[in-house]
Amino acid sequence: MELLSWGDKGWGDELFFATLMTLAVATAAFLLGLVFGSLGAAAKLSRHGWLRAIADGYTTIMRGVPDLLVIYLFYFGGSALVTYVANKWLGTSGFVGINAFTIGALAIAILSGAYSTEVIRGAVLAIPKGEIEAARAVGMSRLLLFRRILAPQALRYALPGLGNVWQLALKETALISVTGLVEIMRQSTIAAGSTKKPFTFYAAAAVLYLVLTTLSTYAFQRAEDRSMRGMRRA
Amino acid sequence: MKKGLLSVLAVAAVAALVGTPAFGQAKKVKIATEGAYAPWNFTDPSGKLAGFEVDLANDLCKRMNAQCEIVAQDWDGIIPALNAGKYDAIMAGMSITDKRKEVINFSTPYAATPAQFVVLKSSPLTKALPLDTKVYSLKTMTPETQKAIDAVKAAFKGKIVGVQVSTTHANFLETYLKGIAEVRPYKTTEQHDLDLTAGRIDAALASQAYWKPMLDKPEGKDMTIVGPGFVGGLFGTGVGVGIRKADAQLLSEFDKAIVAAGKDGTIQNLSMKWFKFNVTPQE
Repeated sequence: MELLSWGDKGWGDELFFATLMTLAVATAAFLLGLVFGSLGAAAKLSRHGWLRAIADGYTTIMRGVPDLLVIYLFYFGGSALVTYVANKWLGTSGFVGINAFTIGALAIAILSGAYSTEVIRGAVLAIPKGEIEAARAVGMSRLLLFRRILAPQALRYALPGLGNVWQLALKETALISVTGLVEIMRQSTIAAGSTKKPFTFYAAAAVLYLVLTTLSTYAFQRAEDRSMRGMRRA
Repeated sequence: MKKGLLSVLAVAAVAALVGTPAFGQAKKVKIATEGAYAPWNFTDPSGKLAGFEVDLANDLCKRMNAQCEIVAQDWDGIIPALNAGKYDAIMAGMSITDKRKEVINFSTPYAATPAQFVVLKSSPLTKALPLDTKVYSLKTMTPETQKAIDAVKAAFKGKIVGVQVSTTHANFLETYLKGIAEVRPYKTTEQHDLDLTAGRIDAALASQAYWKPMLDKPEGKDMTIVGPGFVGGLFGTGVGVGIRKADAQLLSEFDKAIVAAGKDGTIQNLSMKWFKFNVTPQE
């Protein structure tokens, strides 16, 4: 138990800060993913064929390629590209890196954005067409229609699906450990290898992930209940 | 923790002695390690890197008059990130293999852990092949090495020796003990340990780096190392510093520093400290 204690003798504080890091990466990735998802959904529902084609390409590729591969592409390919650009046009020399947090959050945001796209698109399509027509009939502007009719209802339909996307993002952060970012997975690997006690630390990591996912399940449940207030229950 | 602090102080002291101009000119070298492979390199509970390679890296950098930074990197992707330029060298218990040589260069080895035989403490082999702390290189067949091999051959006549399949250790048995002892291949080293304990085999051959921690565990309390240790030749050259192919300059500096650290006994001292046995490559 001393192994998991706080301070210089134990790994408790390291694991705690690693958990915060996991939470930070996951939150940043999920929120940015929501932006990508909204743009993607808007593009998929657009009247313009080329926008739909771009969004289709995005979701097809990002949902069809292993997540680890996307992270590798971003991490190694990304820094090679940035280095090249910086050396060529900004007059720097040598390696220019993007930090592991930015790369990791961006990679997971793009992945979770692809899933969010489909969730949001489905939610928008679930809104009865009649309501939109009625809003137009009373002369609502597009912005007002979005604010009063589309957004609140779509959010309600989207919440359960977005809860899933969040859990995915949370677990995908484990893959970022390959970049050396010290989140739960990397920290438990370090501790396991340094103390030769793999079971203790991987079990601790599993508990930490479970705490995070259980708390977020509860939070999303509360959010769903709140968004359903005023709705008749079957 | 103490050691890390001491080495920081030592570097600072050297910097003060040498004076800032010379130190200012020192080039920067970023070295990656895994930080999770005790005792080669690991992280202590306060988050500091420590271990054989961390101490050695600091020593080599002093010899190269370089300003070094040691960073931790996950084992997966440690080579791609070197080639991407994230750091300049890898010291992470990485064996020099032909496959890795296709993508990066290796310095001359700074460690080679000998292959050794392990038997049960109750076995007559402990008397027939007593522990020989000397390590023999197979690179050149000296009369000494030949004698050591002959002793092994005599002791294992008609015995059954277990080994992990498709390893350099299996190649050794195929080459030197074929027709003398029965070689029994196993999928993992743990499996030959189980059969050794059960008495199905008389001995097992693996790396000393594997045996030492194993023998300290409760499962290994009835086992003991016998005979001589072997390195070189078909065992490959050992563990070296990984460096980008383009960095010929850095490679030759590391080579020089490693040879010097091997000659004056630094590698031996550090390896006694961390491994409790000598990992200095023989020639």
